[in-house]
Amino acid sequence: MASISGTAIATFARPQFAARAQVVKGFSGLKSVSFSIQRNGFPSVRLQPAPRRFQVSCAAKPETVQKVCEIVKKQLALSDDTPVTGESKFSALGADSLDTVEIVMGLEEAFEISVEEESAQSITTVQDAADLIEKLVEAKSS
Amino acid sequence: MSWLLRRNMLPLHSNSLARRPLASPPPLLPAPLPSPRETHLWYVVPDQLKDASLLNQYMDLLSPCERQSVLRMNGERLQKGALLARALVRTTLARYTDCRVSPKSFKFRKNRFGKPEVEWNKYDLWAPPPLQFNISHTSTMIACGVALDLPIGVDIEEKQRKTRNNILSLARRYFSPVEVAYLRTLADLESQRHEFIRLWTLKEAYVKALGRGFSGAPFKDFTIRLEASNSKQVTGESKSDASRIVVEAVDHPGILMNRWHFALFELNNSHYAAVCMERDVKDPDRENNSLKLEVWRTLPFVEDECVTETAAVKNIIR
Repeated sequence: MASISGTAIATFARPQFAARAQVVKGFSGLKSVSFSIQRNGFPSVRLQPAPRRFQVSCAAKPETVQKVCEIVKKQLALSDDTPVTGESKFSALGADSLDTVEIVMGLEEAFEISVEEESAQSITTVQDAADLIEKLVEAKSS
Repeated sequence: MSWLLRRNMLPLHSNSLARRPLASPPPLLPAPLPSPRETHLWYVVPDQLKDASLLNQYMDLLSPCERQSVLRMNGERLQKGALLARALVRTTLARYTDCRVSPKSFKFRKNRFGKPEVEWNKYDLWAPPPLQFNISHTSTMIACGVALDLPIGVDIEEKQRKTRNNILSLARRYFSPVEVAYLRTLADLESQRHEFIRLWTLKEAYVKALGRGFSGAPFKDFTIRLEASNSKQVTGESKSDASRIVVEAVDHPGILMNRWHFALFELNNSHYAAVCMERDVKDPDRENNSLKLEVWRTLPFVEDECVTETAAVKNIIR
């Protein structure tokens, strides 16, 4: 159902997030033309830019990110050895618009939150989803 | 020549790829331009691609930016799919340029919602055809629809696609009340699932034809359904039991958005496919004329087969 790769999926790439996408360095990139997958020490090795560590109010807990990864992998039927991390972009994981809505509903169920459509549209990476979840969980309990 | 295009399978160089130098890929079968009411749909089945050197040929057609995007996909299967999608778009469009534009030469830009369109170079002695296109893919098929000068949206989905969430829960959240009501009339879960998928592809095709995509045109705001039509046939008899696919805004029920017409069908026995195209305002009988469809199965540079009148395209609803 999705249209082409990261540049134009069924939801269409959102121009305002193009800059953000370039900042992210996922290690799901960097492949040779022969399409071999670079295996990394997931989950012990994570290429997060250092400043994020100090943004305590924004970055989600590793357990939250891990849980989101699990839900995403299940929805997209990815094999256990497919690296999915906070930096993973949904479009690069082959998620189409139906996958995306199913993932959102799966997250709502798992975390007992409710995600507004507008917020859902702004999620492009696993980390985005985890951050939003923690924000909503916190808002619920406060 | 056009009879050959329609009726025969035309294998091109199927065994000679390994001996062909990379610099000169075999010529593509050219195609006549679609007429104003016509959608041309070209699809490729990734599993039919067995020759790794073909992947290199396709990679060679891509822009550096596209190559990077392909390589950013997570895993070999997704990379192959992304590569095939770009190769399909480029080779398909090239067929309509009378051999003047090679697949590699195409440039693309995006509209403000991110929908890709062709950006033509300036030619002194030739007016490029105003081609509109849209692609869709699943893990087992990639499809590219082409129309002349009229916006088009295409969406395909595997018939067997299962949802993790309950169908009615999904529908209540994302579909219009009329559509939910329709799904609720279906007593058995399998029918419900199939109809959900078909409706999803129609809605997706519509928002892609609009150029807005899923995020730019909320599914909840419009209804797609069948409307009984009383169009007269050429013989003068009224076809009162014929029905056509229509779209209306939830806020303005009964006011059909006649600008758009649709086709929904089964493709390759494996997929549901939906096409949405803007109607041609120059057509005097545009209200009644339905969308015409021509379909080709392709493996670019290897073989093309017109499958329009075959079992690969069936159960067409317009």
